[in-house]
Amino acid sequence: MVDVDLSQPPFSLLDDDGRDLVRRGVDLAYYESDEVLLDAGQAGEYVYLIHKGEVAELDTSEPSATARIGHYTAGDLFGAISILNGKSRYRFKAEQECLCYLLPRTLFERLCERYPAFAEFFRQRLSDKTRLMTERRAEGGVSMAGFMLARIAECMRPPLLVEADTSIATAVRTLNDSRADSLLVRQGARLGVVTKTDLLNALVIDGEDQQSLVVEIAHFSLVSARPDQYLFEALVNMTRHEVARVVVIEGTQAVGVVELTDVLSYFSSRSYVVSLQVEQADSLEELAAASARTPELVKALMVQGVKLRFAMDLLAALNGRIMHKAWGFRVDETHQHQSCLMVMGSEGRGEQILKTDQDNGLILADDADWPDCSVEMASFTETLVALGYPRCPGDIMVSNPAWVGRVRDWRRRITRWVEKRDGESLMKLAILLDAHAVAGNTALLDEVRDALFEACEGNELLLTYFARAALQFSTPLSLFGTLKKPQHGIDIKKGGIFPIVHGVRTLALERGIRSTSTLERLDALVADGRLEARFAEDLGEALSLFTELRLKQQLEHLDGINAERDANRVVVQQLSSLERDLLREALHIVKDFKQRLTQRFHLEY
Amino acid sequence: MLKAWRRVTDRRRQAGGDYGWLFNPYTGDEMVAIDCETTGLDTRRDELVSIAAVKVRGDRVLTSESLDLRLSRPARLTGDSICIHGLRGVDLEGGASVEDALAQFLDFVGNRPLVGWCIAFDIAMLNRQLRPRFGFDLPNATVDIAQRYARAVRRASPEIEPSLRFETMAESLGVPVMGRHTALGDAVTTALMYVRLNKSRRITA
Repeated sequence: MVDVDLSQPPFSLLDDDGRDLVRRGVDLAYYESDEVLLDAGQAGEYVYLIHKGEVAELDTSEPSATARIGHYTAGDLFGAISILNGKSRYRFKAEQECLCYLLPRTLFERLCERYPAFAEFFRQRLSDKTRLMTERRAEGGVSMAGFMLARIAECMRPPLLVEADTSIATAVRTLNDSRADSLLVRQGARLGVVTKTDLLNALVIDGEDQQSLVVEIAHFSLVSARPDQYLFEALVNMTRHEVARVVVIEGTQAVGVVELTDVLSYFSSRSYVVSLQVEQADSLEELAAASARTPELVKALMVQGVKLRFAMDLLAALNGRIMHKAWGFRVDETHQHQSCLMVMGSEGRGEQILKTDQDNGLILADDADWPDCSVEMASFTETLVALGYPRCPGDIMVSNPAWVGRVRDWRRRITRWVEKRDGESLMKLAILLDAHAVAGNTALLDEVRDALFEACEGNELLLTYFARAALQFSTPLSLFGTLKKPQHGIDIKKGGIFPIVHGVRTLALERGIRSTSTLERLDALVADGRLEARFAEDLGEALSLFTELRLKQQLEHLDGINAERDANRVVVQQLSSLERDLLREALHIVKDFKQRLTQRFHLEY
Repeated sequence: MLKAWRRVTDRRRQAGGDYGWLFNPYTGDEMVAIDCETTGLDTRRDELVSIAAVKVRGDRVLTSESLDLRLSRPARLTGDSICIHGLRGVDLEGGASVEDALAQFLDFVGNRPLVGWCIAFDIAMLNRQLRPRFGFDLPNATVDIAQRYARAVRRASPEIEPSLRFETMAESLGVPVMGRHTALGDAVTTALMYVRLNKSRRITA
């Protein structure tokens, strides 16, 4: 008779017989607080499953302040690794009185032998476990998850290909016959797309003859995708490029077309509605209305179990479009080519899901002629506030002259910051490094970025100073469980998100990588050979996990739940055991990463 | 006095029998927590429905070495007690006969000391069935967890009269109640309370 919950992984990977074996095979043990359950170096004899109480995992080789590397509470499981490795690497000590189920080693080994999936669970890496969690959430009656995981190949229609010598009249007939909205025109090796709107415009507005060639009105700059990409990415691309279809290319061959309407028949959520609203907005009021709907969109996406990376991409694209539009309303056409509006910080990295503070700056061309720029920028900041982007408390906004300047001003600033290397300068460098152009002449930002990389290249001393910030906050593993009140939680922004983001940023600066999103930077670092793919993947997953946990709390804030609590703090005890497990592992990865940074940039002192 | 006399005569009578070893003093370090579900609370008329026992060694409750016996349906099984233990007539179909069950029980507990909550009741129920069939009463030493608890609480705070309800005790000892009113569940909970009481920590009512 044991009251043990075996519905969670890894036990859900067993069948009923296996679970019965567990139920009949476990013993119960009671431990006083501070009692050592399993000591470092001791042979693993049991898998411990906590029924009640809390257990700390201690690294005995570390000084006591950093020794605590894990924390387990009711429903958690430990000791399996010790059995697989032969002996325990760490000491497990009861933090309070504990009641544990003990699964004997022989039984554990028998289960591993009989159920490969069960054995595999203990050897898995973080990314696999996250997938497991996503899948589990998807099982909870979420119909949309299927869509999110759908590939483009599943939703594309065969391409309607016509030769270059087709006339407009034939093209219209072909379209009508196949009830399509667009067709592809082949001209030599090039592919162009012609939509119904194009045909109408050509016939009615431009007064083209029915017999004129369709090739004349085709667009040859295609938005394309590969069939194995996620359908969701196609949607992101459509939003970003303001088109209603992407052409699916495999190798050099057009194998299909994904129409926006096709995606929508899969995807009945509000994302398209919001992006449509943004595109159609003719006034700031309409734009503000659309912008106010993004939190609702985020919620919908999260409920549907969308992978965070895609949600972030979509939201970044949306926010970019909103700013771009606002810029278009506010700034005179003539100035738009002389200037570049950039967003920085999390917005620049495209990692901002809910609207946080506006971090933006302006780059003017050296020969720009814009006398009342500062007045207009001040009002632009107000506009963004009206659109739901709160003011930046650090005053990193276009209304602040320190973040507006001609290219040569920026160059001067960068040189000064690099020379000074004090906390503030380094922070400003970091902020600028994440800059992403949203409106105006993007070439200006590239120029500034080039200057930045140039100034930092080979400057080991600067990199060391720059990297140090990543170690600024201790890994919250040492906070686990030792909190006076558990509801204080651990700060995952300082302890998890920041070290990863900043560490990756430092590496990107070292290697002159231009992407601004952390995940893209990781990909680039792998391609560059700076990081091994496996570690980069784990870092990415860890970051996604932290962001997701934080987002969950931010969304609760919006609903008025726990509004008095800091959204950056995660209360460990409120997570499910699997989530806790993931969090623990993710924090370990952060610790690992910090260690690597320490070694690479000599931060020991 | 009478009990001691009975034990001596039982022992003499069983000396050469199958169960003589039960009367030897116990030298191991295990205990057995037991619990019985019955058709009612009258030790002279009510019948056993199920018997459970679980071994305790040191601070471990050996749930992997436990005994959970369902007996065949007794005549007195009525609605009132079914509401408590949840074993209906059909649940007891195919249950063991009292004789088989008791034999298994004796083999399992051996001469280990027994622990129970208000154990006198369980012992009385068992003995009433045991004596006519095997010719002796349970000779095992017994520990009543309720009395142990009362003593520990009085020692810590003499002015408080401890509540000896099963759930209250479990709660104040910080022991989860595992499947209340199933024989094995109660036996495991009892075992946990025993382990907890043996630890040195102060008990508060």
